[in-house]
Amino acid sequence: MSVRNSLLAILAAQPTHGYGLKARFEQSTSGAWPLNIGQVYTTLARLERDGLVEPEPVHDEGPRQTWRITDEGRRQLGEWFASPVADDPPPRDELAIKVLLAVAADRHDVTAILDRQRAATVERLQDLTRQKMRADPERELPWLLLLDALILKANAELEWLALCEARLSQRGAP
Amino acid sequence: MNSHAPILELESVTRVHGAGARAVRALGPVSLTVAPGELVAIMGPSGAGKSTLLALAGALDEPSEGRVRVAGVDLATQSRAQLAALRRRAVGYVFQDLNLLPGLTAAENVALPLELDGLGLARAREEAAAALERVRLGTLAQRFPDELSGGEQQRVAIARAFVGPRKLLLADEPTGALDSVSGEMCMRLLRAQCDAGRSAVLVTHDATHAAWADRVLYLRDGRFVDAGPDASSPAVLRAGRSA
Ligand SMILES: Nc1ncnc2c1ncn2[C@@H]1O[C@H](COP(=O)(O)OP(=O)(O)O)[C@@H](O)[C@H]1O
Ligand SMILES: [Mg+2]
Repeated sequence: MSVRNSLLAILAAQPTHGYGLKARFEQSTSGAWPLNIGQVYTTLARLERDGLVEPEPVHDEGPRQTWRITDEGRRQLGEWFASPVADDPPPRDELAIKVLLAVAADRHDVTAILDRQRAATVERLQDLTRQKMRADPERELPWLLLLDALILKANAELEWLALCEARLSQRGAP
Repeated sequence: MNSHAPILELESVTRVHGAGARAVRALGPVSLTVAPGELVAIMGPSGAGKSTLLALAGALDEPSEGRVRVAGVDLATQSRAQLAALRRRAVGYVFQDLNLLPGLTAAENVALPLELDGLGLARAREEAAAALERVRLGTLAQRFPDELSGGEQQRVAIARAFVGPRKLLLADEPTGALDSVSGEMCMRLLRAQCDAGRSAVLVTHDATHAAWADRVLYLRDGRFVDAGPDASSPAVLRAGRSA
C-alpha cells in the first residue's frame, strides 16, 4: 500500500493537517489499514522534501500545521491513478511458502496442513460474508467493495488449496 | 414433530455400489443433522460422494446401511407411494440444470409439484404466487423459462423447492453458471428463506456461495473431513449461526 500516494490523493481534494489525513484515509478505506500518526508525519516530511506537498502559510488560530498538494504532487498522483497495480515480483505469501516447503520436504502432514488452512479460510470467508449481509449498499459502498475484495482473495486461496489437494492426490501422496 | 426437531437426519449412512470385489463405496459412513432454519453447505473434490449424499437425503436413492429421516420420517419404513408423496411434499430438489419445464410459465413450474400432489389448481397457483413473491419474482410469474435470465431461473427453482409445505431444499451445484452478482442474489434469497425457518443443503464448488451457510462441511472419499483444532465436532468448520 502506498501511503505517499494515499496522502496525496486526500490532499488533492483539500488541504488537511496530519490527524485529518489519518482520519480521512481510514474513513475512505473503512478502517482496513490503520495508519499510525508517526507514519503520516514522516511521509509528509518526505513529500515536502520531494516538492510534492507544502505547508500552508500559518494562521494564528490553530497550532496544527495544514498541508496542501503542489502542482508536481498533482502530476505524480495522476500518474499513480493512471497506472495499473503490478504484482511483479509477487508479494511474499506465507501460505504458499509453507505449502511449498512442506511439499519439498515431503512432509507426511501436507494434507492436514491444507485441511486446517481450508477450515480457517472458510471461517474467515463466512465471517466476511456475514458482514456483507449486514452492509448497506447505499450508505456503505466503500465498505462493501472492500468486503468483496477480501472475499474474492479468500476464495482464490481456497481454490488454490483445492488444486493443491487434487495435484497431491494425483501424485499419489497421502 | 415439533418445530425444533431436525428436518433431516443421516445416521451412520453408507452407500455401496456393486458387490464383492467390485464393490464401490460411494459414501460413508456419515452422519448429518440439519435443523429447521439451517443452511448447510457441502464442498469437496469430485467423486467425494456429495451427489450420493443428496440423493439419499432426497429419497432418490437408498442407503446400503444406516438410517435417513426426513421431517422425522424414517425413509426405510415408507412404501414407494409414500416416498413419492414425501418427495412432492417435503423436499425440493434443485439440480444443476434446474429442470424447469420449458413449456410452462414460472408460476406453472412452481405450482406443478402441488398439482401432482392433488392440490386444487386455484390453491396450487396461490401457493406458487406466494413462493415466487418470496424470491422477489412476483412480476415475472407469467414468463417462460427462456424469457428469464439464468439468475431468475435459479430463483424459480428455489421458489419451486420451497413451494407450499416443502421445508427442505437440496441443491446439487445449482449456481455453477451464474455471474457473481446473480449468484450472490440467489444466496441472499436462499439465506432469507432459511432465516424464515426453512432448511437447505447446498452442494457447491463455489466457496463464496458456501460461505452464506451456517455450516460448511467438507467431504472427501465419502467421509466428512475433520479439520478443526478440536476433534470433538467432526467436520464442523463453523457451527451455529452465532454472528
Ligand atoms: N451407480 C454407480 N455405480 C458405481 N459407482 C458409483 C455410482 N454412482 C456413483 N458412484 C461412485 O461413487 C463416488 C461418489 O460419486 P458422487 O456422489 O457422484 O460424487 P460427487 O458428487 O462428490 O462428485 C464416485 O467415485 C462415483 O464414481
Ligand atoms: Mg456430484
